[in-house]
Amino acid sequence: MKGLRNLWAWALLTPPLAAAVVLFVVPLLYLFYISLHAASPSEIYGSTLTLENYTSVLSDGFYLGIIRRTIGTAAAILALCLFIGYPVAYFVALLPTRRRMIVLLLLLFPLMVSNVVRAYGWVALLGRRGVINTGLRDLGVIDLPLDLLYNTEAVVVGLMTILLPYMVITIANTLAALDRRYEEAAQALGAGPVRTFLHVTLPLSTPGIASGMLLVFLLTLSAYVTITLLGGPRSKLLVSMVYDSVVGFQWPRAAALAFILLAIALTLTGVILAVLRPNRVQGIGR
Amino acid sequence: MSPAFSVGRAIRGSAVVVAFVLILAPILIVVVTAFSPTDYFQFPPPGFSLRWFVEFFRLDNMRNAFTLSLELALLSATIATVLGTLGALYLARRRGVVAGLLQSLFLAPLVFPTIILGLALLLLYKSLGVPVFPGLLLAHCVIGMPYCFRTVLASVQALDPALEEAGQSLGAGPLETFFLVTLPLIWQGVLSGWLFAFIVSFGELNTALFLSGPGLTTLPIEIFSYLQFQGSQLVIAAASTIQIVLIVLLVAGIERIVGMGRIIRSR
Repeated sequence: MKGLRNLWAWALLTPPLAAAVVLFVVPLLYLFYISLHAASPSEIYGSTLTLENYTSVLSDGFYLGIIRRTIGTAAAILALCLFIGYPVAYFVALLPTRRRMIVLLLLLFPLMVSNVVRAYGWVALLGRRGVINTGLRDLGVIDLPLDLLYNTEAVVVGLMTILLPYMVITIANTLAALDRRYEEAAQALGAGPVRTFLHVTLPLSTPGIASGMLLVFLLTLSAYVTITLLGGPRSKLLVSMVYDSVVGFQWPRAAALAFILLAIALTLTGVILAVLRPNRVQGIGR
Repeated sequence: MSPAFSVGRAIRGSAVVVAFVLILAPILIVVVTAFSPTDYFQFPPPGFSLRWFVEFFRLDNMRNAFTLSLELALLSATIATVLGTLGALYLARRRGVVAGLLQSLFLAPLVFPTIILGLALLLLYKSLGVPVFPGLLLAHCVIGMPYCFRTVLASVQALDPALEEAGQSLGAGPLETFFLVTLPLIWQGVLSGWLFAFIVSFGELNTALFLSGPGLTTLPIEIFSYLQFQGSQLVIAAASTIQIVLIVLLVAGIERIVGMGRIIRSR
């Protein structure tokens, strides 16, 4: 009987574990291995071991500028998502259960639509023949179309709205699970609405804020298609450099850029968690 | 009602309106223009026509991309559901460091920057000589697996272990217990995991960007290259609308089968 149990456990674990190792862990280790090699004109990577792929990127002013722009853009998207998303989440959390479910479903549905479709929607809005430009021209406000597309602002606005539902949903779930008696207690002890919010509600919702921020941030870093369609050739971010290196068959360079991207992702994840300290809050939400 | 309280309400109210307009307007504009009779983008469209949908199915590359995306989504969702269910059954009642690590490993592709995974798979496939279709399929499986794993795990953990023990004490082996006791109780979780994996695969961009090959392009990548190289032709609006309609149908399906609560919790 015990032998059968063991066999059953192994039969359950082996297929998913094999898939995760072969299709996730091994490719990433191999990519790291490639990033440590010199380029080769005929093979994927050359035979010499080197750190040059990393040092050349990190000492090049062009790439450092791209890295700064990537972090700046991500920070702007995060800040906007938080400032618009939090009040919306608060509103959603206070709705009665059934209406809350309907609103959350309305927020969840756009997340299932492919990002390329949602980015196309923004191209249709902001383009030279787009909704905003034709609207303003018909109203007589402008004669020539405005260049609303192909700049960093378009990337920020587009990505922010594409990712906003993640922020709203995670914060709303935490707020809805929050015990209202904490707020009532604070008010009974004489705290006004602002003080109650800043000292009770906001700290208690940090788990939702943290997971929302991490989702938005990590998805921003790899949103190549949205960044390309809305930012054009002049607003490239680090992920665009990864893609350009692939198109140029510079495999070791692409691999190193991917790991620099990953290092930025891990560092800023650590910063977000250290600042928000979501683990302070016990027992509610995620 | 104190003034501070009503200011709070005003801020919340306007944030809600702004957020919903920003989130939904781009999608609505795409759907509306798909029915335009004009040659070029014009909003609002001056009439109603289905010509761009006809054009979508007449264009070989669009039709092929659509069928490829459907095939990939059906196959990868099925494989991902099997793998995710196995993993969830194994981990549902286990605690400890190893179980924790395994769970993180199974959930990792959910938050991992997929563009890096796409590049890593591309280079691995190149050195092993993996053809395009199986390569895409395997990538979509890895990306869909965490969704299935998570929904099934939640279902199994909500299950009373006494039911499975009763099955076993009555002489059922592990396989019989699974098919006669566990599966009938968790099938809603399994099915919603499958639908999630289908939706994720159907819209997947970041790995398909690297792994699509000549003649084998998924629908999202075909839309992307049209937008990049052929400008804003309205056949893209039709392609996008087909994508949106399919997702609306699937979400309605999940809602009928398992209810809204589970869809929202599983994100």
